[in-house]
Amino acid sequence: MIKYILLVLAVGVVTGYLADNFVVGFPLSWVTYYLFDGSLLVLLFVMGLAFGVDREAVAKLRSTGLRVLVVPLLVALGSVLGGLVAGLIFRLDLFGSMAVTAGFGWYTLAGPLLTQILGSQWGALGFAANFLRELLTVVSVSLMVKVDKYAPVAAGGATTMDTTLPVIVRYCGKDVLIVAFSSGFTLSMAAPFVVMAIASLT
Amino acid sequence: MFDFSVLVLVVPLALGIACGFVLRGRKIVNLSKVTFGVILVLIFALGFTIGSNHDLLASLPSVGVSAFVMALLAVGFSVFFVVLARKRLRF
Repeated sequence: MIKYILLVLAVGVVTGYLADNFVVGFPLSWVTYYLFDGSLLVLLFVMGLAFGVDREAVAKLRSTGLRVLVVPLLVALGSVLGGLVAGLIFRLDLFGSMAVTAGFGWYTLAGPLLTQILGSQWGALGFAANFLRELLTVVSVSLMVKVDKYAPVAAGGATTMDTTLPVIVRYCGKDVLIVAFSSGFTLSMAAPFVVMAIASLT
Repeated sequence: MFDFSVLVLVVPLALGIACGFVLRGRKIVNLSKVTFGVILVLIFALGFTIGSNHDLLASLPSVGVSAFVMALLAVGFSVFFVVLARKRLRF
């Protein structure tokens, strides 16, 4: 499955690049906005449907409770700590570096937000680091699920409510759906505030 | 300052779960095949978004290494904490 995903991702990148650079007046937003959001909404509906139909998945969910709160908290902590260590390694401003990883993988947020607060260099870093987190999650799901069922959820950060959700559910099982979605949702809600708070300390 | 459109994503998920409850016990089409098809469309759109984004493509070569290490460490510590908590707290 991961082969198809990477292939389609690569085709998408190339097509997007060609459309942007060589097709004059191509309505990019048809794909980046309508197709993206449209397929995401359909996907969430279908996955909700699959979850609702499954008796076992609902039973397993009853034992979830604590995970819904603990997972995003630990992911936030781990992400910021990762930024701190990376800042020490590359001798960057530590608050700047922590603000980058506090995007939790949401690169369309972290990029513009950091550009606004700390300038384009940090914006580029915020864009790239968080994009690579998303990519890393998609690519490593099949490996990480062997470590722990919730490891891909931790890896995905804020992206586990949308882009990486289908891949994670496919590998980790339907009962992970609610934890993954709620963790991603909580982190998505927190990301703008955490990024701004940490970035303002530089 | 904050994009409330993320809240919209809860609607189709909740709607899907509700429909699933109603349809429970009936034979439905192979949902995993449908899901996979839609995933591929979404991943294509994701790739397209990246490929058509000047800023992102331009930023990758100059900040690539530090960005990659940042992503790797953020993922590493996140996974470490969650796995540790699952072992210790047994949740």
